[in-house]
Amino acid sequence: MRKFLAVVKHEYKKVVLKWSFLIGTLLLPFLAACFAFVPVIIFSLQGEPTRIAIADPTGKIFERVERNLSSERMAEKARKAARDSIGQIDAAQDEKMRNTAAQFVQDFVLVGFDPSGRSVDAVRSDLVKKIMADEIDAYLIVPENYNDAAATFEFRSRKGGDFVSNDTLQDAVNDAVRSQRLADANIDENLLAQINSAVNFDAKGLNEAGEEKNSDGVFFASFAIGLMIYITLAIYGQAIMGAVVEEKETRIAEILFSSARPFELMLGKLVGVGLAGLTQLAIWVSSAMILIGFLSMQPEFQMVAASVPSITPLMVVYFLVYFLLGFFIYASIFALIGSMVTTVQEGGQFAFPPIMIMLSAFYFCFAVIRDPESPLSFWVTMAPFLAPITMPVRILAETPPPWQIALSITVNTAAIGVLVWIASRVYRVGMLMYGKRASLPEVWKWIKQA
Amino acid sequence: MQAGKRPNGMRRFCDGNPVYRIAINDADGENVRTMLETPETNITLQVSNITKRFGEFTAVEDLSFDVRSGRVFGFLGPNGAGKTTTIRMIVGITAPDEGSIKLFGEPMSFALQNRIGYLPEERGLYKKMKVVDQLKYFAELKGLSGQAADKKIDFWLERMKLSEWKRKKTTDLSKGMQQKIQFISTVLHDPDLLILDEPFSGLDPVNVEFMIDVLSEFRSAEKTVIFSTHLMSTAERLCHDILLINKARKVVGGSLREVKESYGTNLISFRGENAGSVLGDRSLVERVVSHADEQEIHLAHGVVPQRLLKALIDGGAEIGKFEVTEPSLNDIFIEKVGGHSDEPAAGVNAAAMRK
Repeated sequence: MRKFLAVVKHEYKKVVLKWSFLIGTLLLPFLAACFAFVPVIIFSLQGEPTRIAIADPTGKIFERVERNLSSERMAEKARKAARDSIGQIDAAQDEKMRNTAAQFVQDFVLVGFDPSGRSVDAVRSDLVKKIMADEIDAYLIVPENYNDAAATFEFRSRKGGDFVSNDTLQDAVNDAVRSQRLADANIDENLLAQINSAVNFDAKGLNEAGEEKNSDGVFFASFAIGLMIYITLAIYGQAIMGAVVEEKETRIAEILFSSARPFELMLGKLVGVGLAGLTQLAIWVSSAMILIGFLSMQPEFQMVAASVPSITPLMVVYFLVYFLLGFFIYASIFALIGSMVTTVQEGGQFAFPPIMIMLSAFYFCFAVIRDPESPLSFWVTMAPFLAPITMPVRILAETPPPWQIALSITVNTAAIGVLVWIASRVYRVGMLMYGKRASLPEVWKWIKQA
Repeated sequence: MQAGKRPNGMRRFCDGNPVYRIAINDADGENVRTMLETPETNITLQVSNITKRFGEFTAVEDLSFDVRSGRVFGFLGPNGAGKTTTIRMIVGITAPDEGSIKLFGEPMSFALQNRIGYLPEERGLYKKMKVVDQLKYFAELKGLSGQAADKKIDFWLERMKLSEWKRKKTTDLSKGMQQKIQFISTVLHDPDLLILDEPFSGLDPVNVEFMIDVLSEFRSAEKTVIFSTHLMSTAERLCHDILLINKARKVVGGSLREVKESYGTNLISFRGENAGSVLGDRSLVERVVSHADEQEIHLAHGVVPQRLLKALIDGGAEIGKFEVTEPSLNDIFIEKVGGHSDEPAAGVNAAAMRK
């Protein structure tokens, strides 16, 4: 047992302490996080509020803009947008929106500027002077003929690139002018809003039991899960093969075999590398969860976050179980290949069939996503070799009855038993055979005899 | 070869080991071994009638020998004779088809592997691993705890003058250094039996001497060393006992002394005058080989050197030199193995692994 643990530790460290592992495991989520976090952080870091002078010769627009930029109005707008896109919003989300809106409002300081009958040119030169004297940051000149569709609202700012603020201001001005136009035309604004509101289109899938489920984003999430399992299996399977070939090539096998049981060595190798794979998956999954959690707090990303299918802890357990099943199946095949061949390059040719099986399992995922209840989906999620990739996808798309999951786990565990048994026999003999690659009949003989 | 026993029947070994033992081969090369008063505890390794076949090919056939504790045992033979296959069976990598192997009085088992240190002929280290990490791993595989291993590693690196290379990777080391690291990995767990397959290949003469020093420490610590080599001069220098095998079978075995004596007592180097008639006597002398300065006399069957010496003196010969010489191990090797030492080793190795 102690030796077994020594092998596990050795193999685990060998994978985990490699640069490629560190980069793949830590840097990837870090980069993803950067792409998500950095813009949000940067935009929340605006220090100085923008001082805007509004020259409103009509005296009607300024107040409305000011009102539109109040925190209540901003929160109201966000709430309405959220309701349109994601339906229900709860109290916590509402609170969050109010805070965001309040923060947003602080970005603007509106300053009244009385043009009092002067010409537009005189007003403009005055405002520009104020900007140059750093009294204001931007100005807006409201045209007198604001009712005319062709009228131009002149907005000039020293912070021309601050598109978020500019957009918000533009929205506020738009709304203000529209409200004023409606008032001028004697139309009740609230009535119009009511008439204009979009229908509430409630689209949801039904599962077998007739319960509603959210089908948004299932395709992409399932695809992502299938791809993730496929990639990790391929990477770690080949890592095993490389490790086996190295021990054979460098003749370390002979020292190992004179120190511990071949079965111990082989299982230790599988478990060690498998744990390394689990570590990577765990880091990926948890960083993905943190990322999604963070994004769902940002109003801008709420639409995306809401479409991620709900993943229960049980599902996560299933994914890890199937990853392990797949890992042991493919890793023992790769270990077998590694002990048959003499170089990694030679192993690459033999790695083609298992890779093809994995790839076909990945393609079957599409059929499973489209119709998780079809007979095809049933069989490909039961079959050994295929199930480790297809079943997690099916569970995510539509969780099958427990007996099917149990059956599929049983079938694949049995397959692992057979494969590890075969592989450790080939390993025992093949690892000490130098010089030439073993032929398939020879390997068959080892399996029967050893 | 002599079929009968020596007149005194048994012999006391001069190194004080209280073991009485005779190893004599009969004319067929079949070994007849008598063990007298040999306590079991003094035997580290007992190999009894082991046979290993790989399909049609027989790599080791009916091989028996003992290795006594506290001695250096030379396992000799040409390439492809079955040395590596035998060693692999001893260290438990493969099992014999027939016969049995007892180590420290117990049948071979995985637990006993911890008491063996094995340096294979084909050596290997992990290329991209630090020296200390590999040594620790190998030590742990031999059942050592991590802390114990750390201490031993420091001790041995110091002993081998490699301390500064502790954190270097294998690829940074010279071949000789790698060889020493390999050796450390074999002795880290303080094994009772050390099996070294061609331990000196690839080492420069200074390091060979150094390694021999280290090995003699093992001898004095009552540990047993088996080493396989095809360099007869090294074997002659280091080994108390030898076993020569060829074509899967035992050829000759026993203490170096016995083996040499069983070949050597009929050979005399001679220089002198007026000896012609005596040397021509076919009842005394089988043949005479003349060298530049002296003659090599092969005694006839059953003739002891004293009888020839007496005949020479009685015959009035003037003797310049009369020396009973023993053949070198190299001579024995060549005589026994003959021209067959160049068997294709690769084919055998491949065949040996077929199972």
